[in-house]
Amino acid sequence: MIFEQLSGNLLQGVILGGVYGMATMGLSLIFGVLKVVNVGHGAFIMVGAYVALTLFQTFGVAPPLAVPAAMVIGMALGMVFYYSAIRKLLKGPELASLLATFSCGVILEEVCKQLFTSEARGYNWELGKLDLGFTVLPHAKLLAFGGSALIGILLYLWFHKTRAGMAMRCVVESDEGARVCGIDVDWEYALSFSIGIGLTVVSGVLLTMFIPVGINPYMGGSYTLKAFVIAVLGGLASPYGAFFGGLVFGLIENGSYTLFAQIPGLEPFAMTRFFSFAMLLVILLLRPTGLLKAK
Amino acid sequence: MMNGYRAYLPILPVAATYALLLGIGVVSPDHWQLIAQLAFYCALGQAFNLFMGMTGYVDFGYVAFLGIGTYGMAVSIYTLSDKGLGIGVVLIGLVLAAIFSLGLSLAVGAVALRLRGAYFAIATIGVNEGFRYLLEGARIWNGADGIIFSRHLRQGVGRQTAMALSTWWADILVFGVAFLAAVLTLVYMRNKVGYALLALREDEDAAKVMGINVTRYKIIAFITSAILAGLLGASAWALKLTYVYPSDVFAIHYTVEAIIIVLLGGAGTLLGPIFGALTYGAAKYFLAIVLPGFQLLIFAPVIIAIIVLFPDGTVGLLKKRLRDTPLGKFII
Amino acid sequence: MPLLKVRNVTKCFGGLVAVNNISLEIRHGETLALVGPNGAGKTTLFNLLNGVFPADEGQIIFEDVDVTHFPAYRRAHLGIGRTFQIPRPFNSATVRENIAIGGMFGAAGSEIDVDRAMAMADHYIEVMGLSPHRDKPAGGLTPIEKKLVEIARALAMKPRLLLMDEAMAGMNPKDIDKMVAFLKEIRETEGIAIVAMVEHIMRAVSGLAERVLVMHQGAKLVDEPTREALSDPRVIEVYLGKPPEADHAHG
Repeated sequence: MIFEQLSGNLLQGVILGGVYGMATMGLSLIFGVLKVVNVGHGAFIMVGAYVALTLFQTFGVAPPLAVPAAMVIGMALGMVFYYSAIRKLLKGPELASLLATFSCGVILEEVCKQLFTSEARGYNWELGKLDLGFTVLPHAKLLAFGGSALIGILLYLWFHKTRAGMAMRCVVESDEGARVCGIDVDWEYALSFSIGIGLTVVSGVLLTMFIPVGINPYMGGSYTLKAFVIAVLGGLASPYGAFFGGLVFGLIENGSYTLFAQIPGLEPFAMTRFFSFAMLLVILLLRPTGLLKAK
Repeated sequence: MMNGYRAYLPILPVAATYALLLGIGVVSPDHWQLIAQLAFYCALGQAFNLFMGMTGYVDFGYVAFLGIGTYGMAVSIYTLSDKGLGIGVVLIGLVLAAIFSLGLSLAVGAVALRLRGAYFAIATIGVNEGFRYLLEGARIWNGADGIIFSRHLRQGVGRQTAMALSTWWADILVFGVAFLAAVLTLVYMRNKVGYALLALREDEDAAKVMGINVTRYKIIAFITSAILAGLLGASAWALKLTYVYPSDVFAIHYTVEAIIIVLLGGAGTLLGPIFGALTYGAAKYFLAIVLPGFQLLIFAPVIIAIIVLFPDGTVGLLKKRLRDTPLGKFII
Repeated sequence: MPLLKVRNVTKCFGGLVAVNNISLEIRHGETLALVGPNGAGKTTLFNLLNGVFPADEGQIIFEDVDVTHFPAYRRAHLGIGRTFQIPRPFNSATVRENIAIGGMFGAAGSEIDVDRAMAMADHYIEVMGLSPHRDKPAGGLTPIEKKLVEIARALAMKPRLLLMDEAMAGMNPKDIDKMVAFLKEIRETEGIAIVAMVEHIMRAVSGLAERVLVMHQGAKLVDEPTREALSDPRVIEVYLGKPPEADHAHG
């Protein structure tokens, strides 16, 4: 009984983990290229959730089709924040860019609070489900996982097969070197920030396909925390590491939930959230540059 | 001491400001709530500045220390009110608040203070959420149901005293915390601690080469700042409201407010947090009338504007301008 | 008993062996010039000596204490001072505060309070001719002035061994002569051993150093008295390449 439950939860965990991983790729991309930690990360996921919700409820657009819109909105937001704040702070102390990204997050939360009130909302998109006997997988969740994997692959191809992607990889390795090779490093910074934010907003859409309820302006905080755990698991500067970190995190999260639920007197939901924070501290204590990353 | 008492002259404008605020509050009881709120922001800013301003590290989970201090007071009153200690429960509450916040700051600091820059921020950003979910998840101190102890307070100290505690003495304690934070800031600035922090804020590696044990001084600032936060939570929240819920006292927006206050006035200055607190507090008060619910939406872009346009903050700029004038002695 | 004893120290960065199995000794009060072309591993050796990062292998003994695993600040307490190639003063602090910080936390730091450190700072400000800049923030000074502040800050630490990274780079000949004279005086009055890292300036080397240690590709190439070193064909080779006749002779 418990094993059936556990294996079911673990499978769900892997699928959710794929989406988590995708939701962290933008964070890692931005850190990798600009060496800026986007402390407001979760707020951009929240924006994605509202994009999916609004398009679905107001215009009847199926959530997967909201992805292109989310990408465009995210990239636009990224450009605006990059050119209005981040760009001027890259040479300054780390404190400056941390506070700036944090404030960007607060701005988005407050704007969304004004637009949508702080009431939690949700939508209902029925697409059938796959019954495996020991667990049931709604098609929407599978689609979200497939979408995440596909975006991960596309990002990989873009990095390795296109001129623009190669240029960005050069900047990751050495911005001086890239500059000498005739790459417009400042533009690459803007582009990576904008793509990173775009990916994050898209991940917000995909996450609502997994959990279509509880959408509110302040939902991002817990995703920021999760994204940090995942990013330090996979190596803060590596988008692919982030993807695998997400898979591992999804497993741990759902596995620990199942275990906490067995212990009387514990609130498994809250304990799981505490556990992910404790995990963050332990990983940072052991190896801040990432557990999964090879030496 | 450097130049004797003259080095400590800048405490005068601090004391004058707090005396003035208190005076206005006493003369015009209608405004007491506003005054108390301003005092809270002054204390929050001073305490937060002691770490962020002096080290250049930002602790996004800072509110956790206020939260756990609130619990220190709550636990004391809730469990000891029938032991016949009278007003002693409040004193024990303050001590517990200090001990709790000290313990949490040691636990967090042990991990976070070994890390530099961005990694430090990552380690601290979840502290408030993490601790809140530990209380709720393991049902520590009634978990999500919180502790409601107004009855216990009345039982322990009597109706009259309980009333006076939460309507008057709680706010006076907040003034006390604010002043204590300012005094400690100035004492640190005038002693080796301050110079060590100044050096590590400017260039941590060079500071080490100069013989500065940077971790030690970061811990000193971190712990001091945390204990002040704990005392602030115990007085401004626990004693004043006589209840505590984890979802209230670990809310990140207090960290946001602390950041705004410190940056408005000028990080690492003595008078900056006071200036920031009065500006922010007054603006928030009037915005609540004119544009309710908009204060963070207005202040978040202000943070960005300050960082980009004048990172020294208001008092930081003043300090530079007045360096060589007689007024300069008072403004740091 | 030498002041500093380095035994078979090695440091690698990935595949690059930056410092390769170096051993050396420094006697009390002597001045050693550390010479070598760009990329020879001089700065890495400095970083190993004062503990900016640990050595991969080998042992470093300072005044009978094994400091191999000591962090930088503890080595500073024992009496190892350091200046940087590109000066790194604490920019927002005044010149006086910068130098006082050296005194407060350096080798004598535990007995020096803020007031005494300030008095020490005033002394070194005088010595270095920085009086007009005493209360200015160090960030606003010229590069040469910053360099002087940094040297003063290191001296205020009361080191037994002073590691100077390119102390004279960017100076004109007149300033170099002044600096050489100054360092000689410091050596006499304070009994400090100095390791001065120099890339090219032979003028400074010959005027100041008793001994020259030449590094090449991470390894120790030459370690001998200045006079011999300056005419050593191996040293000339490192700087100028092989003379063509030598090629003939070998070919």
